[in-house]
Amino acid sequence: MGQSLLCGAWVLFALLSFVDATVLFSTLPRTLAVEDEIQNQVPAMGLAKAGDDHLVIRWVLNATAQEAAAPGLDASYEKVSLKLCYAPVSQVERGWRKKNDDLHKDKTCSKAIATQKYTSQGNSTVWRITKDVPGAVYFVRAYVLNSNGTQVAYGQTRNLITIEPISGRHASIDVAAAIFSAFSVGSLIFFLALENMRGRRSSGSK
Amino acid sequence: MAPNSDWQEGNAKGEPGSSLHGVTGREPVFQMTMETVGEKEATDLKGRKFALPVDSEHKAKTVRLYSVAAPHMRTFHLSWIAFMICFFSTFAAPPLMPVIRDNLGLTKVDIGNAGIASVAGAVVSRLLMGTICDLVGPRYGCAILMMITAPAIFCMPLVSTPVGFILVRFFIGFCLATFVSCQFWMSSMFNSKIVGIANGTAAGWGNMGGGIVQLVMPLVFDIIRRDIGSEKFTAWRIAFFVPGVLQVMMGLLVLTLGQDLPDGNYAELKREGEKVNDSFQKVFLYAVTNYRTYIFALTYGYCFGVELTVDNIIAEYFYDRFDLNLQTAGIIASTFGLMNLFSRPLGGVLSDVVAARWGMRGRLWNLWIIQTVGGVLCIVLGLTGQLGPAIAVMLIFSFFVQAACGATFGVIPFISRRSLGIISGATGAGGNIGAVTTQGIFFMSSKYTTEDGIMLMGIMIVACTLPVIFVHFPQWGSMFCPPSKATEEDYYISEWSKEEQSNGLHHASMKFAENSKSERGRQSPPRSKEETVVVDGV
Repeated sequence: MGQSLLCGAWVLFALLSFVDATVLFSTLPRTLAVEDEIQNQVPAMGLAKAGDDHLVIRWVLNATAQEAAAPGLDASYEKVSLKLCYAPVSQVERGWRKKNDDLHKDKTCSKAIATQKYTSQGNSTVWRITKDVPGAVYFVRAYVLNSNGTQVAYGQTRNLITIEPISGRHASIDVAAAIFSAFSVGSLIFFLALENMRGRRSSGSK
Repeated sequence: MAPNSDWQEGNAKGEPGSSLHGVTGREPVFQMTMETVGEKEATDLKGRKFALPVDSEHKAKTVRLYSVAAPHMRTFHLSWIAFMICFFSTFAAPPLMPVIRDNLGLTKVDIGNAGIASVAGAVVSRLLMGTICDLVGPRYGCAILMMITAPAIFCMPLVSTPVGFILVRFFIGFCLATFVSCQFWMSSMFNSKIVGIANGTAAGWGNMGGGIVQLVMPLVFDIIRRDIGSEKFTAWRIAFFVPGVLQVMMGLLVLTLGQDLPDGNYAELKREGEKVNDSFQKVFLYAVTNYRTYIFALTYGYCFGVELTVDNIIAEYFYDRFDLNLQTAGIIASTFGLMNLFSRPLGGVLSDVVAARWGMRGRLWNLWIIQTVGGVLCIVLGLTGQLGPAIAVMLIFSFFVQAACGATFGVIPFISRRSLGIISGATGAGGNIGAVTTQGIFFMSSKYTTEDGIMLMGIMIVACTLPVIFVHFPQWGSMFCPPSKATEEDYYISEWSKEEQSNGLHHASMKFAENSKSERGRQSPPRSKEETVVVDGV
């Protein structure tokens, strides 16, 4: 009885290990050094335009971490996932961008930039800032993933960049809105005048 | 002025389905007699026959939902669809909020302010609409409002700042006053015995617009993104042309197909001398000095106001708390508003059923129980953290909150006969004030998370429903107190001065008083000395 219970507990434990264990950000070592650089159409310090400008991101295994730690530190490193993350100033009063130590619930880094294979020499990527990026202050974070897809380490840029969003407006939309509004008010006035005239005509004929 | 003897066709036997004489019921107080004709020969001023059986005022005596016969059923359908489209337009932004907040850089405070703005405008417009309907008729009132607010909807695609967003939602929200024109119109077209069902159904189906929009807008957004290939920040703007165009189309239909009264439009009838008006000051005075007006304005703020608040926050709540995508969050959020298909009418029907046995005391208990249970379920909703149970709780909560709205308008028509229009408008406005207050306290700042806000809103519902206990009718009693020796006639005649009574202006109210004896419930002894034959004894 006791043995089967123990056996059952073991099976359960084994199964649970396949479930994504909660990863806490505070437990991740910062072993990557990440840098980013804006390639603007129009030069501007720290400012990038969504849809037009590009972001060049370079990441490499941190030299000091490499020396200090035992060899084989990066044995479990499989992939590097690059993400665009909101800076704290853009998270204020916006609960849908809130930071949470539990990475499952964390909403800081919602925009995925690229995923690359891990190499100890590091890599870089050029990313065109997509048009659905909201206007905010950002930094870039690189999560190192193991073969299970769980985060095991990270690195992030030290400087912040501001991204200017597209407005989403177009001249054609503006014109259409004006035309429809004019039609709405115009047809109302037309009908009211029409009924007024008809009314006067019928009372005039009485 | 000769009183119209069969004005109400009541026989005071507590018929079921006097599901209360309508909401705005602004039937002209001293209606001059339409020819008393038999059913078969009823014709309007132009000599055309009516498709439905009508009473002596040419108001329909039945509701045939599948028919669009002019003028009664056509009015019914025009009216509820117009109201539904206005609800659609007012709540078109919330289901797309996750996209809009990113495009405009909104904070929680901005979103909260916009939500408040969307329902605040209607506080004033609902109060004014009753008077406008009186002056120019519900057809013009409804159509003019819809077509004047349509440009505001077309301004939404042009918005680029939080302030612009708040302002546009404010101006769009004015069109919610079509509630008043809808109910007013129903009361002009349908006999008092069935006007309650007509009103409750029209109001419920109109409120469904708040649910339908949560389904339609994400769908339209998706189609525009996929098939036209627009960017997210452009697609939502294009999507707003849908409510705008619908509203203009509906306004035109109301203008061309609608008719104010069974016999014709106001302008024609005024020329024929068929329509007369009451004194605004007197009507206003009797509304403002009746304490029940304020109690029901408050309680309606915590059933209808809560419904408006939830319409504003629920899609974003499911999107954020349960990590769903826009379409799924929209589908779930829509079920809240769609429950109105039957829950609001059922609330009114329940009120009737309970009144047949226990009279007005039953109606008050019915309202208090339904609304309090709704409050408890709201608390539970805020505390529920799993998706499946949250949806289930939300559905049951929606039933109770909407049934409470229907049940409220089961009581309103009895508060006053003379000032019914203004009291109904004030109750409606109270609903919007409740929405403004609730959103302001609980859903504005980051002080409370949305789930905490929902839970606290539930507590406030329970607290603000308690005043129903204090509503007392001398002739019928209240929840805990039995009636006094006063009669219905005493209560309703108190709204007319001696001078007005000597002119015979109070006869319509007396007819109503006679019919309202059904609110005593079953087996209550006659109270006035003059009554010989027992009025109910059913």
